[in-house]
Amino acid sequence: MDTSIVELINVTREVAWLPWAVQYFFLIGLSVGGLLLSLPGYAFATTFAQEGWRRLGRLALLVALTCGLAAPVALLSDLHQPGRFWHFYVVFRPSSWMWWGSVFIPFYVTGLLVYAWACLREELQEHGRVDSRLAALYRLAALGGGRDDRLIRATGLVVLGGAALVALYTGVEVAVVKARPLWHTPILPLQFLTTALAGAAGLVLVLNRFAAGNDRGVERLANRLLAGFLGAVMLFGGLWLALGLSGIERTHAEALESVANSEAWRVTALWAVLATVVPFAIAVARPVGSGLLTGLIAVHGAWMFRWTVFIGGQTVPKTGAGFYEYALPAGPDGLLGIVGTAGLWLFLLLVITAFLPVPPDPASRPMSRPLRAMAAE
Amino acid sequence: MDRSRRNFCLGAGAVAAGAASLEPAPAAAIQARRGGDPAHRWGMVVDVRKCVGCQACTVACIMENDVPENSFRTIVSTYEVTERGKAGSTMLPRLCNHCEDAPCIPVCPTGATFQRRDGIVVVDNSVCVGCAYCVQACPYDARFINHETQTADKCTFCVHRVDAGLLPACVETCVGGARIFGDLNDPDSSVSRLVREADPKVLKPEQGTRPRVFYVGLDPKFQGKVDGTPTLWRPSAHADRAHAEKEHA
Ligand code: SF4
Ligand code: SF4
Ligand code: SF4
Repeated sequence: MDTSIVELINVTREVAWLPWAVQYFFLIGLSVGGLLLSLPGYAFATTFAQEGWRRLGRLALLVALTCGLAAPVALLSDLHQPGRFWHFYVVFRPSSWMWWGSVFIPFYVTGLLVYAWACLREELQEHGRVDSRLAALYRLAALGGGRDDRLIRATGLVVLGGAALVALYTGVEVAVVKARPLWHTPILPLQFLTTALAGAAGLVLVLNRFAAGNDRGVERLANRLLAGFLGAVMLFGGLWLALGLSGIERTHAEALESVANSEAWRVTALWAVLATVVPFAIAVARPVGSGLLTGLIAVHGAWMFRWTVFIGGQTVPKTGAGFYEYALPAGPDGLLGIVGTAGLWLFLLLVITAFLPVPPDPASRPMSRPLRAMAAE
Repeated sequence: MDRSRRNFCLGAGAVAAGAASLEPAPAAAIQARRGGDPAHRWGMVVDVRKCVGCQACTVACIMENDVPENSFRTIVSTYEVTERGKAGSTMLPRLCNHCEDAPCIPVCPTGATFQRRDGIVVVDNSVCVGCAYCVQACPYDARFINHETQTADKCTFCVHRVDAGLLPACVETCVGGARIFGDLNDPDSSVSRLVREADPKVLKPEQGTRPRVFYVGLDPKFQGKVDGTPTLWRPSAHADRAHAEKEHA
């Protein structure tokens, strides 16, 4: 048909969920991922008896804590009226997934703090035995006790529930938005979860290099896990694409249609595929010696996915033609927000690791030497 | 007295065929409504054939409601359509549809967005936290964050005027007589008659929102997301800059 339509006048709606929202979903996702990765080494330590899980769990706990504490700050900043956040807590609004989120987040973060304390109590106690000026402080923080596996398991189970609720609400909150076909898919919560797990495994790998003793056993295990999570990411991504291409499901077809003709979106899709396939291949082929690279790519992939979903998704007009333009503002609504949350995360990491350095693991040293030589080749 | 619009003159060719549905919202949604007079159900019929694209309504709305610069509660989308070598233009006045089953309401975590018993969907901006969930949920891009109040904003059918027995500013000012406002509960009102007889369309019916803004003479190509070449002039193109400047001030 030779009909052409040129839009002469229309309104541009600016993005209403700001880069703060990207930061929030990224950080809370990584926190949940980190928490899940910490469970085998701590809460289920009797089932997963190997030391490797414990050492990986220690780093995963660090991921869960640092990201979990920074996330609510980003969320609050995404409100245009942050001072009114208490308005969430004086109403009962079960129809709103965001309202449920306001219930789940404090539950999860509190649970996480208690669980982390239970996990780290043993270390606190040990630091309290060392003759230093801070010893009394450590002893106070340990509350006069040490390792208590039953407490770790009990708090672990509670926070597992909290993490499941957070994973559920963060995914469904976005997936229920029927007005945006790109978001309105039951696959989205699964994509959030799998990319979060991949990002958390990635951050474990990065921290293993910078905040711990570059433990080869942890690296191998985390890379294996990362490969598994990336496999799941590919699976769900492929499923979404298949649903869109086949046209059996209208929303998916519409979603694909809304972006398929855009050059920028095609580049983004290629980028996403590379950011999944490349670390997957490396992690499978060389699980030792590649951790920093695979880790960084995985963390970046988890962030990019959220950026694309939120910022990219909001540049698709609901009624108008083409796309809304988005340029990252330099101020608090843009770059400053991203840098600020990253800075907060780094600060939390420095404080926690200064107070509780990741314990060196003597058992892993002899084994790691030949491997390190191998990796250096 | 029919106070649907200033100048009522029914366009030719208004044939009764497949009248747009006026089925009510689910019972739970109706129960949650508050304020307003349930005797009325306000609605609008836009006869796009009469719209001349003058944007007088856009300006009247801004003046009436103190809409911040670069934001719009209503705007008349304007398209150049070339069909078989012949060029013409299509005007599409857009505003909040005051949907009977409005997706912007259930998502609101604070209850700031609610529907009055006369069907008008409003935001209590002393309660709104500016989370923008409703902005995402509206399928019509009818909502935005007002950067002066930092809360959600949108067309209210000029609720303050309607309560005082006046017409919405855009209707009052409409040059072409394209915007017709009235009570859908009153079978004799112009809007009721047009909905019954002029076979109007609503935007994005597949979203299930049951809009209460109807369009007479609308080409189906414009009912959903318009498949065309993007706009040449975007009013909010400099909004970011304006916003940033405000923040520095
Ligand atoms: S048009 Fe949008 S803002 Fe207006 S009632 Fe419908 S969903 Fe809500
Ligand atoms: S922006 Fe305001 S009105 Fe909209 S959902 Fe959030 S609290 Fe409700
Ligand atoms: S005032 Fe009336 S004729 Fe002019 S653009 Fe608005 S709806 Fe169209």
